Amino acid sequence: MANSKKPGGLREMLESMYSVIALLFILVACVELCDAAAAVDVYRLIQYDMSGSPFGSRFAALNHHAASLHFPPGVDLSRTVLIIPLRELNITFVREYINQKNPLGGLLVLLPEVLSFKTGGNKQVHEKEKMKNLLAELERLLVHSNIPYPVYFAFENDEIDTVLADIKKNDLMGQPATATTGGYKFVIPTTEPKKVASPTMTNIQGWLSGLKTDGDANQLPTIAIVASYDTFGAAPALSVGSNSNGSGIVALLEIARLFSLLYSNPKTRGRYNLLFGLTSGGPYNYNGTQKWLRSFDQRLRESIDYAICLNSIGSWDNELWIHVSKPPENAYIKQIFEGLSNVAEELDLKVGLKHKKINISNPRVAWEHEQFSRLRVTAATLSELSVTPELLESTGGLFDTRQYVNETAIVRGVKLVAESLARHIYGHQGKNIQIFADESSLAVNPAYIRSWLDVLSQTPRVAPFLSKDDPFVMALKKELAGHVDEVNVQHETLEGIFTFYDSTSARLNIYQVASVTFDLLLLLVLGSYLIVLFSFLVITTRGLDDLISLFRRPPSRKLKTA
Amino acid sequence: MTMFHFFNCAILTFGPHAIYYSATPLSEYDTLGTSVKAALVYLGTALVKLVCLATFLKVSENDGFDPYQELLKAVIGFIDVAGLYFALTQLTHRNISQNHKFQAVGLGWAFADSVLHRLAPLWVGARGLEFTWDFILQGLEANANLVLSISLAALGSLMWLRKNKPKTLIPIIYACAGIVATMPSITRSLSKARIGMALPEGGRLRTVHVFEYGFH
Repeated sequence: MANSKKPGGLREMLESMYSVIALLFILVACVELCDAAAAVDVYRLIQYDMSGSPFGSRFAALNHHAASLHFPPGVDLSRTVLIIPLRELNITFVREYINQKNPLGGLLVLLPEVLSFKTGGNKQVHEKEKMKNLLAELERLLVHSNIPYPVYFAFENDEIDTVLADIKKNDLMGQPATATTGGYKFVIPTTEPKKVASPTMTNIQGWLSGLKTDGDANQLPTIAIVASYDTFGAAPALSVGSNSNGSGIVALLEIARLFSLLYSNPKTRGRYNLLFGLTSGGPYNYNGTQKWLRSFDQRLRESIDYAICLNSIGSWDNELWIHVSKPPENAYIKQIFEGLSNVAEELDLKVGLKHKKINISNPRVAWEHEQFSRLRVTAATLSELSVTPELLESTGGLFDTRQYVNETAIVRGVKLVAESLARHIYGHQGKNIQIFADESSLAVNPAYIRSWLDVLSQTPRVAPFLSKDDPFVMALKKELAGHVDEVNVQHETLEGIFTFYDSTSARLNIYQVASVTFDLLLLLVLGSYLIVLFSFLVITTRGLDDLISLFRRPPSRKLKTA
Repeated sequence: MTMFHFFNCAILTFGPHAIYYSATPLSEYDTLGTSVKAALVYLGTALVKLVCLATFLKVSENDGFDPYQELLKAVIGFIDVAGLYFALTQLTHRNISQNHKFQAVGLGWAFADSVLHRLAPLWVGARGLEFTWDFILQGLEANANLVLSISLAALGSLMWLRKNKPKTLIPIIYACAGIVATMPSITRSLSKARIGMALPEGGRLRTVHVFEYGFH
């Protein structure tokens, strides 16, 4: 019995060993490593459809060799990624390339590190204007083209600079990628981009009630202050829109704070309600503002005396513009303009009036006040822009970063709007009374403006990629709620002519690869080495005759059978 | 393609062992059992050395050359020699001549060394897209190690298995054995001087050296 147990036990042990070995093999086969020479965060060009026509970069995944602008002429680039730093970018070359629909494996544009909101910080930008114009042009070109290959943006750092230098060196020598000269392969392993299903726009409104005395049977008049908070740019993951419209948002928040201080005391509460609106859907013909206004009660809409919309007030020197759609001779417009100009004179700055008629049949809405005007509410937009922006322009692009915004400009803008509002509310028109004087308890707080501007300059805010309960939107709501009596949030779907696709950022892996010829060559070398080793060992240990006999065996067998 | 590279490096690392076995008369005398036993002894030796290193060696903060530590590593290297002694003399071998015994033991020893030190980095690293010269260097190192092991086994057999040694050669034999036994330490200190000048990127060579440090 002991004997029969032993082989059975041994068999069991062997079987368990086999299963362990099998498991080990499976585990080992599953080992996948990321062992790239460098890994970089990259941000994809926006992909969207407008009225069914495709725009932007239509692909996301990338798996090609890299080349720089010094590529040898005449070479086929359809399986190559071009890596171009911004300082070497020739916009005409890119424009021709895209317009002629030349095939390309992919495009990677390297932006200077100062523009990065994660690492650039507050460093100064050299040649600001030149970079701004170049970026604006590049953005305009890329956003309005249909590009059938992936386009990505990345920030320069030491790793990618060394890779780029290596690539340039190889291209200049005209050498194809080999093991020793370092051919590089760019791999971005993402899935195909999908449509963003029912993108939401979230409008936040804050209501500050005015003082209702017993004699007032009707509703108090209302003044609305509105700013749109979302952005649109070539790289949605980088569209922080510090000026368009971060400046408008911080100005609105500061005005809300100042008036909440005034309205907290019933003795200084004005006889006007104040309605603050942070709207979404700005770049898309102010779609969100339209939906927000449509949701109003008819009485409320009629009670709005006028609305002031804030748009890009962050980088002006001495002149601001008031854009209106009603003719300047209109009494209400005159009142608004005079109020603002009087305060402007005292603050030593200029305001100009710009009139642009609205065409009801044209769906294009260039300014936010036009949405008010279409519903017969008097409104004006205060902006530093003198020219009406085109569709998807001045909506917070690649160049709209913190370095391009001047907080003193915002402070002056807030003073201008707050003073003129206060004079209208408290009936001090024409009188030289400074309510929000410096050094008073109602002074405009530059630190508040600066801190909110910094936060906004680090938050990309493209509406389709902001979910319903996005933390930033909730933060805005909470901040506004701290200043006003009542806050309401309205969620709407961004429908209409725009469709967006996801996959806005990814991780690029840069591998240094050897060509197939190298592997074959190596195999050849190794094969010959092993053969030589074999013959050497046979000759030294068994003698030359044995080696020869290895090859002579089959014929001798044949002889035997025959 | 990357499996191709793995295949190339694998045949460079393990091919010579198989070739050695089949090309020499070892295969005719069926000495596989001896090699397997030697491989198992190597495994045991490696574990003992690991424990000794962990117990006695201090982790140095700076990369400086500490002679005391290096001496300790060399002494622990002699555990290698002890293991080889055990494999050559204490294991029961079938009737194979001394000549073939040391070859078989050396082969088994070198094969276990290669598998233990080089298989895992090879599997994990060579299959990626990234190309480095590390694995080819590793393969060449495996080849050198084969020669080293067989020569060490030969010297060992001369010292312990041969009863009638010529008197004049005895000190030379022992000196050679000492040098060969401490060869890993010598190569490591030489390579440290080289690596101090230029450390390749990727860190895989570093990993290989960590393995070396761990097991030698």
